[in-house]
Amino acid sequence: MGERLLTVEGLSTHFFTYAGVVKAVNGVSFTLDRKETLGIVGESGSGKTVAALSLMRLIPDPPGKVVEGSLLLGDRDLRTITDEEIRQVRGNDIAMIFQDPMTSLNPVLKIGNQIAEAIMLHQDKSKGEAWRMAAELLDRVGIPDAAKRVNQYPFEFSGGMRQRAMIAMAISCNPDILIADEPTTALDVTIQAQIIDVIEEMQQAYESGVILITHDLGVVAEIADKVMVMYGGRTVEYGGIDEIFYNPHHPYTWGLLGSLPRLDQTEKTRLTPIKGQPPDLIALPSGCPFVGRCSYERPECRDQWPQLEIVGPEHGVNCWIPEDERREARATLLHFQEYAT
Amino acid sequence: MPDRDTSGNQLTEDLTVSTVSELDLIEDKYSGRKPLGLWADTWRRLKRNHLAVVGLCIIVVFLAVGMTQEIANLVGLNTGEPGTGYLAPYPPNAVNYELSPKGLGSPPSWSHLFGTDYLGRDVFSRTLVATRISMLVGVIAVSIALIIGLILGPISGYYGGAVDSVIMRTADVFFAFPYILFVLLIMTVLGPGLWNVFIAIGILSWASYARLNRGSVLSVKAMEYVEAARAQGASDLRIIFRHVLPNTMAPIYVAIAMGIGGAIVTEAALSFLGIGIQPPDASWGKMIADYLTYLQAGSWWMVTFPSIALTVTVFAFISFGNGLRDATDPKLKE
Amino acid sequence: MLSYIVRRLFQLVIVLIGVTLITFLIMFAIPGDPARQLAGKSATPERIATISEQLGLDRPLHVQYYRYLGRLLRGDLGESYALQQPVTELIRENAPNTIQLALAAVLIELLGIPLGIYSALRQYTFWDTTLTTTALIIWGIPVFVLGVFVQWFFGLKLQEWTGYDMFQLTGAGDNILWIVPADWGSWSTLILPAVTLGLISVAYISYMQRASMLEVIRSDYIRTARAKGLSERAVVSKHAFKNAIIPVMTIAGIDLGALMGGAILTETVFSRPGIGLMIYQAIGARDLPVVAGGVLFATIIYVFANLFVDLGYAFVDPRIRLEG
Repeated sequence: MGERLLTVEGLSTHFFTYAGVVKAVNGVSFTLDRKETLGIVGESGSGKTVAALSLMRLIPDPPGKVVEGSLLLGDRDLRTITDEEIRQVRGNDIAMIFQDPMTSLNPVLKIGNQIAEAIMLHQDKSKGEAWRMAAELLDRVGIPDAAKRVNQYPFEFSGGMRQRAMIAMAISCNPDILIADEPTTALDVTIQAQIIDVIEEMQQAYESGVILITHDLGVVAEIADKVMVMYGGRTVEYGGIDEIFYNPHHPYTWGLLGSLPRLDQTEKTRLTPIKGQPPDLIALPSGCPFVGRCSYERPECRDQWPQLEIVGPEHGVNCWIPEDERREARATLLHFQEYAT
Repeated sequence: MPDRDTSGNQLTEDLTVSTVSELDLIEDKYSGRKPLGLWADTWRRLKRNHLAVVGLCIIVVFLAVGMTQEIANLVGLNTGEPGTGYLAPYPPNAVNYELSPKGLGSPPSWSHLFGTDYLGRDVFSRTLVATRISMLVGVIAVSIALIIGLILGPISGYYGGAVDSVIMRTADVFFAFPYILFVLLIMTVLGPGLWNVFIAIGILSWASYARLNRGSVLSVKAMEYVEAARAQGASDLRIIFRHVLPNTMAPIYVAIAMGIGGAIVTEAALSFLGIGIQPPDASWGKMIADYLTYLQAGSWWMVTFPSIALTVTVFAFISFGNGLRDATDPKLKE
Repeated sequence: MLSYIVRRLFQLVIVLIGVTLITFLIMFAIPGDPARQLAGKSATPERIATISEQLGLDRPLHVQYYRYLGRLLRGDLGESYALQQPVTELIRENAPNTIQLALAAVLIELLGIPLGIYSALRQYTFWDTTLTTTALIIWGIPVFVLGVFVQWFFGLKLQEWTGYDMFQLTGAGDNILWIVPADWGSWSTLILPAVTLGLISVAYISYMQRASMLEVIRSDYIRTARAKGLSERAVVSKHAFKNAIIPVMTIAGIDLGALMGGAILTETVFSRPGIGLMIYQAIGARDLPVVAGGVLFATIIYVFANLFVDLGYAFVDPRIRLEG
């Protein structure tokens, strides 16, 4: 890949609420290089969105706070730079697209206005130029009739088109990093693939790094170079895409992979879900948050967070199960019998 | 993954797909907790709104005061005094000229907490008894409106078409009048009196309940078509009535809370203008109207205490109503 | 937008017909002798007969209604028996005062907008909690109660304490505290009633505005705006403001309409001439034509105010503006 763009170390974001302290993100670390795509995978409540918002300092305070961590963008720590500086980073160095394009766009402002706004903010362009660029961007992301569309309101766009418009808005200032938070979840399946293509295209064109947040492993398989699996606010496993898919080491990862419907399964085979419910982020155990749902749990799991264990090239996992036992357990799962090593 | 866990429990279904944003989950303070069900949730959110809780307490207290007779009957303490006779230290209409030198009443004292009025009647007792009237007006007027609304609303929603149009247009017409003027007009024609007040306020308030109700019926209707399409049995009906309707009843409860508050103020306004209830009944509004002139002469207590009682009551209903609305609004985050 | 306007106008016509119909029914279709009601308590039998003939009270009801409608369209609202004047003339006399009060009160009310916004942006702070609680308390004070105490304070107490005779008390009138300002034509007749009305309105406007702003500021599109790097001030003024203010402006507009019809309680408490006081005095005299005429007038204004507010809303919301 290219140069190292982002180094996140020990990110912890907590919400101090009425009901207690919600530890949404605990000690998460990752890196991102240019032209690299990092997929952050996990279910709702795993902390993936909060982690991304923490990078851009978009966590509402109160009640939230990034309590710990270093977020190095180049040589600047995003956590400690001034408000003025972070505003310059937002939209400019790091851009974000959100899950629901209908609610994420201002309904009373024209699309062109919302795109041009970002351009005029970060680049020294006049209003006319900015609007012209907005139309060009809409065209770039594949919206037909861009010159007319740029004067329209969000409600006049279809779901997929709105998401494309969001992407256009995000890339308008040529950001080094593009964060896509569940960009396809609110869209039809047929549109999903298109949107992912657009993101990929833009990544190539602008040579940016992409952080793709999703619960959809299919999407991750498409474009991610490396994957970080999150659960209960922690990273339970990370590694390259092949490693994660073909050599997964964490029981949660197995669960995610195992719950995917497969083409070679018959209709009669039931889907295998992961038992249990997401953890209560206020009452997290001090150990692994996956306790109670893990079929392989042992006493130390609840009280102590397992240390990082390297199990492959740039592939790490946090789990108390000894490696050989893991391989055995994995082999007995139907899905992985082909991979028994 | 095996479909039973190590303890032999059947695995639950959790397909790890959700479109709810996590920030919403966190901000909603569920943080992974399952929602407890509609009422527990509502109560939990309501509890956090301190003003609303205060309002609710006040409402409960005042309702209890207004219903002392009924409560006492329940418990078996019947002394035959009307209304809040038990709580009032003095009979509210007992005239006592000695307590009103110069015809200006006497200021608050230990024996007469709120003082006495120009006829020597104990203001505290009168205020207390007036509570009953106010609560009565609130409850009865709203009940009348609710009954009309809960009949016309579902009819409108269920039959749709021309019936719906006619009823809804009629509701529009009722909404078109400025509320208090409309009530005044009816009262002018009917004449003053307690029952006329009930009728006037009740008849003119049905429209909002009807509209709200119609909305819920429409959504239930939509559900029913879906269910019919799936050709399922009675269990779905139960789902509709246990889950959908309670959900859609929430705005009606809010409307009731605000409605009772509004009815109480309207009655007070009517009595203040002289066209509400008549003696010997006493309501706060009437008391304020009667005692106004004495304010100038320096007897402030006669007007002040009913005013405070009235204000506190209205405040209670508004706070509670607002709190209830906030607590039942699924979109609203604190 | 066009189809919306058409639909709305259609509804307007229906509502106006309904309103006139109901007023008509109240006046002419009540049990008892309508002629007697309209002629007044102390009318002679001849007078009653005259009125009966004039208004065609012996005709069938729907004919009466058409005639009534006809009279309305000609501007004839009947005649006040107590004052021997056409109702329309009475309204014309009293309207300017009421309009003045309405405008003043609404102007004061608009102060609630910045208050509400400021409060919303400072949520959880001391200022916010204080403002919200105060607003709820004031909102709960019935306007006539506030009016009484405002009068008492500014009329009586202020004079006692400062010796400044801004308002003179006459103590006349049956059950209303009459305050006749020292200089009748001055602003002082306007200030107290307007402030009284305005104060309560400011309370609920600021509460509503705060709620609206809170909801807007939590929206996804506000998050997007911040993610683009906009300053908080730009986020609020460009993105949040317009969306947050719309619901409140509709409330203010409707308020204006309602007040134009006469703030009866306020005018009565302050003995301020206007449509409201006119109606109040008519009630006391059981002067049905004036009461009905006044209420009808107020209602029609209210209906049009609602119409303008709806049209304004349609103009502002691009979805309605472009698609109708």
